[in-house]
Amino acid sequence: MSHFTKQGLSPFKTKRGFLNLHYRFSFPCIFSPSKRGIDTHASHHLDRKPLISDAELRFEFAHHDPAVARVNNGSFGSCPASIIAAQQRWQLQVLRQPDDFYLNRLRPGILHTRTVIKGLINAGDVDEISIVDNATAAAAIVLQQAGWAFAEGRFNQGDAAVMLCHAYGAVKKSVEAYFSRAGGRVIEVQYPFPVSSKYEIISEFQKVLEKVRSDGHKVRLALIDHITSMPRVVIPIKELVEICRNEDVDQIFVDAAHAMGCTKVDMQEIGADYYTSNLHKCFFCPPSVSFLYCRKSETLPDLHHPMVSHGYGNGLPIESSWIGTRDYSAQLVVPEVVEFVSRFEGGIEGIRKRNHEKVVEMGQMLVKAWGTNLGSPPEMCSSMAMVGLPACLGISSDWDGLKLRTHLRECFGIEVHIYYREPEDGEVNPVTGYARISHQVYNTIDDYCKLRDAVNKLVNDGFTCALLSI
Amino acid sequence: MDEDPRANGESNDHSNPSKKPKISSSLSLITQLQIQQEFAHHQDGVARINNGSFGSCPASILAAQRRWQLQFLRQPDSFFFNYLQKSILHSRTIIKNLINAHHVEEVSLVDNATTAAAIVLQHIGWGFAEGQFHKGDAVVMLHCAFQAVKKSIQAYVTRAGGSVIQVELPFPVRSKDQIIAEFQRALVIGKANGRKVRLAIIDHITSMPSLIIPVRELVCICREEGVDQVFVDAAHAVGSVHVDVQEIGADFYVSNLHKWFFCPPSVAFLYCRKSPLSLNLHHPVVSHEYGNGLAVESSWIGTRDYSSQLVVPEVLDFVNRFEGGIDGISKRNHDAVVDMGEMLAKAWGTVLGSPPDMCPSMAMVGLPASLGISSDDDALKIRTHLRDHFQVEVPIHHQAPKDSKVGARNGNNCITAYARISHQVYNKVDDYIKFREAINQLVHDGFTCKVLSQK
Repeated sequence: MSHFTKQGLSPFKTKRGFLNLHYRFSFPCIFSPSKRGIDTHASHHLDRKPLISDAELRFEFAHHDPAVARVNNGSFGSCPASIIAAQQRWQLQVLRQPDDFYLNRLRPGILHTRTVIKGLINAGDVDEISIVDNATAAAAIVLQQAGWAFAEGRFNQGDAAVMLCHAYGAVKKSVEAYFSRAGGRVIEVQYPFPVSSKYEIISEFQKVLEKVRSDGHKVRLALIDHITSMPRVVIPIKELVEICRNEDVDQIFVDAAHAMGCTKVDMQEIGADYYTSNLHKCFFCPPSVSFLYCRKSETLPDLHHPMVSHGYGNGLPIESSWIGTRDYSAQLVVPEVVEFVSRFEGGIEGIRKRNHEKVVEMGQMLVKAWGTNLGSPPEMCSSMAMVGLPACLGISSDWDGLKLRTHLRECFGIEVHIYYREPEDGEVNPVTGYARISHQVYNTIDDYCKLRDAVNKLVNDGFTCALLSI
Repeated sequence: MDEDPRANGESNDHSNPSKKPKISSSLSLITQLQIQQEFAHHQDGVARINNGSFGSCPASILAAQRRWQLQFLRQPDSFFFNYLQKSILHSRTIIKNLINAHHVEEVSLVDNATTAAAIVLQHIGWGFAEGQFHKGDAVVMLHCAFQAVKKSIQAYVTRAGGSVIQVELPFPVRSKDQIIAEFQRALVIGKANGRKVRLAIIDHITSMPSLIIPVRELVCICREEGVDQVFVDAAHAVGSVHVDVQEIGADFYVSNLHKWFFCPPSVAFLYCRKSPLSLNLHHPVVSHEYGNGLAVESSWIGTRDYSSQLVVPEVLDFVNRFEGGIDGISKRNHDAVVDMGEMLAKAWGTVLGSPPDMCPSMAMVGLPASLGISSDDDALKIRTHLRDHFQVEVPIHHQAPKDSKVGARNGNNCITAYARISHQVYNKVDDYIKFREAINQLVHDGFTCKVLSQK
């Protein structure tokens, strides 16, 4: 890990009104890859920094719109000012002398990032780690390979992919674009929401795989979320991977877009073949950077990046490290981000734990105020919770959920993702809307009070979604 | 921080992007000093005569990009729902006008030409997989096509069972007629035995060696010879040469905007002529917009930084601060690079690799034979040597002479390497003098590439 000496902190606003931080760091060895000691644990630093103070923390997120109660870290993440500054330094390096940068500095920088990630997720080998833009790109990589398997006769028409019914919309489209289009069949595992325990999911998953087997179909690919996006639920991933192994599923791909920084991520424990997580959601990287882990194996096929460039055929990590001229700076600040999280008590584990406790506390405060319920038990929430909205708001479609979200943003200065849940037959006065609240280090209790009071006001005013114009 | 009103498309400049961009009056023309300031972030002391590889971006555009980035970071949800799509549409509309496309749906923004190639070639790959094309059906490319494009052909066409016809282009070259004749010949031979040509990939400006290809004539030949679809890889074109997609007549046309059009890294457009076939193109990174057309698919491929796609309006303002706008810039770049190329060739006793009318804003200048550049590896080594020891940034192309009697000459010896010099608005005569002197020094010192191999 490069050794930073912070010599001065002089933030200022330029005439154009944007925040520009100057951290004057000395980089004794960051550009000499042969000399760089790769140390994935910031705690081994010779100069241990003091813990970040409240004032410094506020400063790191001072670029967030102060008028907004930002309780939706789950959609687009967040990035502290010092990381933005680090990224800008990388960007300026490129612009200064791009040939030198691309030929001499980019690859070592990406290798450094890959090495750091290998340590964070307990992968066996740095060759198992590729850096890509986001989980959407990672899904395309895994699914394109499945498409080729059909075209090249390794999969047969009708072979199946299994995924959760709440898999991310973009991933479902990717499955359609590559797997269905090539002749595969897609089976979704239905499970209830609200969910009361992980066993509800495990048993449904087991039942589906058993049925597929007894119907005589081969499951080539299981796509399992580590944490579903909407509704937000932590999935019992270890158990599901084990079921897949027992049922002889060819390839297991875990879409863990939300996981890094929210829940424990250990490749050996989870045991999947492919695993992707975004680092710009809960791991403070700028937009955007993600890793795709591919377990080293004799039996798994070679994956390729769909943007084919000079490195084609040299392994996915090399292919991904050059996909034409573009801005790779978000991929290069991962070491700085590890440095950043080490300034918090307990590092990333401490941040995760406190985010979880806070969001559960806030969720319970809200359900009490609104007379509703959480969508899952606390142990299935990580840094986000699904909080039932009062039924009288009349959320009766996805579109209503979006309209209400817009209304909260524009009229109340609250950013929160709303989930529509279709009620079951016979349900009386069902809770059909859930707010997905998140907690990240920049949140304060005021954000949730603001949300509580806004919804209370809507209820008092007799508001329903039907009143909102299209 | 208040949002930049241009983000809403509300300023006068962008209220009607469908109009042809106006060229500003001479009162607001950019001055030399302002140009220097715009590129003050370039490394001091380096003769940067390789704009062709990675392009360049002025400080005012970088500042505009930062504003967009900070706007996103400030409130990303609002940015996503309220600003992103319409700002991308604004950029696409400007490009549509710039290249004379008929419909804005024909213009998609992607990262770079590498991405565009993957889009077109993946579509060809599906053609084989789904049985519209048959094993052995061919794709035609120039032998000097960009290496990444060649790999993409391997990954999507060869792997799917297609065959590849390579058209060998002469270099050095005397006129575009040589290229036209060679292309015609190779295409006819390639089609022998009834082989069907599904796609021709033609560079508008080849990368190495760099030449303007008579792309309109080659597209006509493709049509006459029954090639299904034509894809023009014009990575270098916008900002270097006039681009009119109606005149060129290809099915697909891609150009980077960060090379010669002052955009930050990175942004390119892929033009797809409206036709039943173009409906089937998809972005390989599939997201929520799958099936809504390539342009819309490309406008959302997951959370990432789209800011370089959003500054196209600001870039148009920037180029219009120059006399003649982008056309004026490209003409002056061309004239200057030919001038400098001829100066260098005279100093070294060599020649240019092509006539001036085949040089865009780059020129291939023969290097003295005594340098002994006899492989691609030598060319890379001498490039590194020039960077490390002379602070000159210039790519070198190794050209094995076909026939030593008729190859380009440097005195009694064959020229085996060419420097690809670029000229962009920030360049000065001193950059080329520095290069001239560096080579003269190497020659004077009896330097050869063998010396580098021994290190």
